[in-house]
Amino acid sequence: MGVKIIERHGNSLKDKLYLPAIAGGMKTTFKRFIKNLANNSNLETRQYPEVQPNDITDRYRGVHRLTKWDDGSEKCVACFMCATACPAQCNFIEAEERLDNVAEKRPKQFKIDLLECVFCGYCVEACPCDAIRMDTGIFSFVASSREEFVVDKQRLMSHEEYVQKEQE
Amino acid sequence: MDFVSVIVIIVNILLAVKLAVGTTPILVWWERRVAGFIQDRTGPNRCHIGGFRLGGFIQSIADMMKLMFKEDFTPSHIRYKFLFTIAPAVVFFCSLLTFAVVPFADNLIIDGQSHMMQAVPIHLGILWFFAYAGLSTYGIILGGYSSNSKFGLLSAIRTTAQVISYEASMALAVVSIIISYGSIHLNDMVAAQGELAFGFLPSWGVVIQPLAALIFIICAFAESNRTPFDISEGESEIVAGYHTEYSAMRFGLFQVGEFAAMASLCAFIVTMFFGGYHIPWMDTATLKANIDNVLMVLILLVPAMTLLFIGWMQKNNRWKNPNDPRARETRVLTKVFLGLGSITTIALIYVLLSGLSENGISIATAAVQVSTFLVKFFMMCFVFIWVRWTLLRFRYDQLQMLGWKVLLPLALLNIVITAIVIVFLGN
Repeated sequence: MGVKIIERHGNSLKDKLYLPAIAGGMKTTFKRFIKNLANNSNLETRQYPEVQPNDITDRYRGVHRLTKWDDGSEKCVACFMCATACPAQCNFIEAEERLDNVAEKRPKQFKIDLLECVFCGYCVEACPCDAIRMDTGIFSFVASSREEFVVDKQRLMSHEEYVQKEQE
Repeated sequence: MDFVSVIVIIVNILLAVKLAVGTTPILVWWERRVAGFIQDRTGPNRCHIGGFRLGGFIQSIADMMKLMFKEDFTPSHIRYKFLFTIAPAVVFFCSLLTFAVVPFADNLIIDGQSHMMQAVPIHLGILWFFAYAGLSTYGIILGGYSSNSKFGLLSAIRTTAQVISYEASMALAVVSIIISYGSIHLNDMVAAQGELAFGFLPSWGVVIQPLAALIFIICAFAESNRTPFDISEGESEIVAGYHTEYSAMRFGLFQVGEFAAMASLCAFIVTMFFGGYHIPWMDTATLKANIDNVLMVLILLVPAMTLLFIGWMQKNNRWKNPNDPRARETRVLTKVFLGLGSITTIALIYVLLSGLSENGISIATAAVQVSTFLVKFFMMCFVFIWVRWTLLRFRYDQLQMLGWKVLLPLALLNIVITAIVIVFLGN
């Protein structure tokens, strides 16, 4: 086994004086300051509401959506698996009979309280029908009252329209 | 007391109060923006009144308003309500009073009568400073003690220990300054700094007494509880230290007091070590003799600086969305600054052309000296902020080690050397 001798720092007079090191640090910060003061277009800060993030991965969990069959009806069969798996108990499902032979049940109402939701993704894992996903890319859901944060089935199935409407 | 001295005293008191308290929003703003720029961020720049952001300055005004209108809450476990209430006031009051003996300009002579250009016209100078700078830490200690919480008490103990160790070295550093200038009156010190050392250097304190300057500046950082010596706040260990239990304007007073202490220490450093109100290589007599030349330089300098500033603003102060009210700020401010610059220039030209009487020369000299002092003062404040965002906090034992084992012996050595030099070389 080779012995590696590590040089100890801090014993020379220059190190013990501290001041050369402090002057070096001050020089670095001052250069940064002057550079950014003279031209602030290279700053790392993103001017958030105007400039939206573009480096969020597709796997990042945003607001839920309910997936649909080709004819626009919901895939959800109201099995309550998601509500059972939910650690925050934020899913509120009301089931009814489905009569068009696609499935036996469908949700009459499907509500998620986004203030309660912890965005853990367990509902997506639990769903046997791939009916709920969290890939909408909506990461900042804004509303002005608590009630508005409880999103219903209609909104969960058509986020695109709502987002478009809000942007206008 | 005649009319002129009343006016002079009022102007001086206003200057002192403005510099001690009025600079707080400016310093808070600088602190945030300088920190941002040093760390490649923007810092707060969105808050605005009718589209006017003023580079983020509105944010510190908004913060001030918030502190004023917040509920003044006293926790139920506070036993010494009186001490708890007066603690921030003590910090604030003492820091404010420290400013009283700083000379803003040389003695103003109007109609043969000499007026001291400081808020309280007394000759106590540096002793007054030590009295009130030392007393202001009592506010912190009282606040921490009466908070009746672990964090407050720990912070109070730390502050006490720190102040005891650093005020000793600070006072000793000042002793060598007093030996070299032979006076405790600050105006005498500044007048002595107007001369030349070694024939070509301005004999500033930092040239004559570099070691004392270094020790005093280091101790000033400790005295004003700023990084690298802010263990009394030490948010990583003791939440916020002495002001953990404070809220609303009581906390605000602590904050203002802290910035006022910093401002007064900057003023003292400038006064004692960086030539005070003197323009380098120009003492008061030279300035009075050449006031016309100085005015001419100013007439050239003011428009040039205004144009430079406007160019810089137009380059950097932009808003992406042209429909936002914030987008038109630069256009309006360009006009405002152009107007201000041209008014100042025209006023200066008028003063130069109409000629100055003897009193006029005195007043113009004082005005130039006050401006010089302000420039130096704000540069020193920037150094305080710059150091804060460069250096790390000292650990408690390192801090005591530095204070007792390094600074104190160095200060004593400096006194001995200074005394020997003075004795052998005369003044």
